[in-house]
Amino acid sequence: MSATSDSRGEVVSRIEVDRSAEWVVTVYWASALLWLTVATLAGLISSIKLHSPGFLGNIEWLTFGRIRPVHWDTAVYGFGGTAASGTLLWLQARLCQTRIPFPTLLIAGGVVFNVGILLGSIGVLMGKSTGVETLEFPLWAMPLLVIPYVFIVIANFKMYFNRRNAHTYVSQWYLMAVTIWFPVLVLSAEACTNLGAVDGVAQAIANWWYGHNVVGLFATPTGIAAAYYLIPKVIGKPVHSYHLSLLGFWSNAIFYNWAGTHHLTGGPLPAWTITIGVVGSMMMFIPVITIGINHHMTMVGSFHHLKTSPTLRFAVMGSMVYTLSSFQGALESLRSHQEITHFTHYTIGHVHFGMYGFFAPLMFAMMYYAMPRLTGNEWISARLIRIHFWCTLGGMLLYTLAMCYAGIRQGLMMNDPTVPFLNIVKFTIPYLWIRTAAGLILLAGTVAFLINFWRIVQPHRLRFVTPTLMTTERDYDMLLKKEKELSQ
Amino acid sequence: MFFVFVFIWTFAMIAGITMVWLLGWAIKNGEFQNLRAGARSIFDEEEPEGRVTDYFPGEGPLMRQLEARR
Repeated sequence: MSATSDSRGEVVSRIEVDRSAEWVVTVYWASALLWLTVATLAGLISSIKLHSPGFLGNIEWLTFGRIRPVHWDTAVYGFGGTAASGTLLWLQARLCQTRIPFPTLLIAGGVVFNVGILLGSIGVLMGKSTGVETLEFPLWAMPLLVIPYVFIVIANFKMYFNRRNAHTYVSQWYLMAVTIWFPVLVLSAEACTNLGAVDGVAQAIANWWYGHNVVGLFATPTGIAAAYYLIPKVIGKPVHSYHLSLLGFWSNAIFYNWAGTHHLTGGPLPAWTITIGVVGSMMMFIPVITIGINHHMTMVGSFHHLKTSPTLRFAVMGSMVYTLSSFQGALESLRSHQEITHFTHYTIGHVHFGMYGFFAPLMFAMMYYAMPRLTGNEWISARLIRIHFWCTLGGMLLYTLAMCYAGIRQGLMMNDPTVPFLNIVKFTIPYLWIRTAAGLILLAGTVAFLINFWRIVQPHRLRFVTPTLMTTERDYDMLLKKEKELSQ
Repeated sequence: MFFVFVFIWTFAMIAGITMVWLLGWAIKNGEFQNLRAGARSIFDEEEPEGRVTDYFPGEGPLMRQLEARR
């Protein structure tokens, strides 16, 4: 057991670190899975409405203009926000080798955050949306999302300043950066859009600066931090090139922020603002390639572990899709590419490729790795894990391929003035059905994970399982001890 | 609106300066030296380099060994 004295002269072991995080992280991750279910259901309703417009057509709360923003916002803040926060807290505690500070406050913050998302979603369903994409929640709901995040920022820095490990691991760079970037993003974007600091085109620029960066400077760094920890940790092999990992972080920090305006290609903006977005997107090849080399080269010689490790399956899937979706995204920013794919289903395919192919699997990987260590319990069913994995991979691939192919064809047809618009609409309908099917597959995987998650937080399940995710004898002895306590 | 602009610019400046300061601090603090050791900092005696630490439930080699002993 590696354990060292902290600043208060207290010995903090790895198991103690995990235990200090148990309830805090479980609350955030359980919320994440519930919001993922809500987001998927809202997405399904939106999807069905596109090929069957009459579906739930007489309920005003569920019209496309309301349910679609709820889908996106519950996915970004409900699932993404809580999954990333739980990941940030556990990973930082582990890497700093310190206990999570003020757990009660963090749990209370998690509850308030959830209430904020719930009220914000209800507001949007009632028709109180702001109309600003990704910031649709009514303004009165936003403090409930921002204030709890302040607790997370403080906890993150407190852990970092109390750290035992002198070295700042690459994942910590990403986690620290997220806590600095995200509040700046949200508050600045709210000020420029919903608070009306700027109008017209400038507001659209602020909107898409935020919309792009909430993915790139919040979800992406958390996902990369998870991959940099999980892949080496699971296979027991250090990162292929630590030099490159640091280059990747700093180039990501410098370039990503500039890319957002490529979303407005073709819009009534000064050409240079879009060119900046395109250049920023092209420069993203530097961090993407360095991160890709690191993740994939670390795995060389260890791919056989994919057969036996659930964490590794999700982590490698996430890191591979990160490379692919980032290449796709960078190329998508080019004007010549946008001439075809802008305002088509291609963009939707790309967004889901990134969020459900890269970010979500890495959050799942984190949960699969950490939950047995946090709770002292084991995942109850290997079969459910396999179902979850194959549904995630299959559903995501089906969705992305269908949407991207349909989008390209749709774009080519829209560029041809001889093709009637109704023909283009009719052409997309089978692919929209495929999208609904893909959504159902993803939902099935989420339900399988929910069952497993629900069971792992049940202490009595301990006696019926075999703790294989815990590979050390100390973990096993601890489980036996707990099992005896429970049976008495 | 003037105050909103002041707020945004102040916030952006703080964030930007913090990142530059962090880079300077990291260089000064030796964070970019001895990177080989840095890459290994996630391993410890209990989860050491060279050991696979994750398996499907019921399918890990150590588990089978321990179950047999039990």
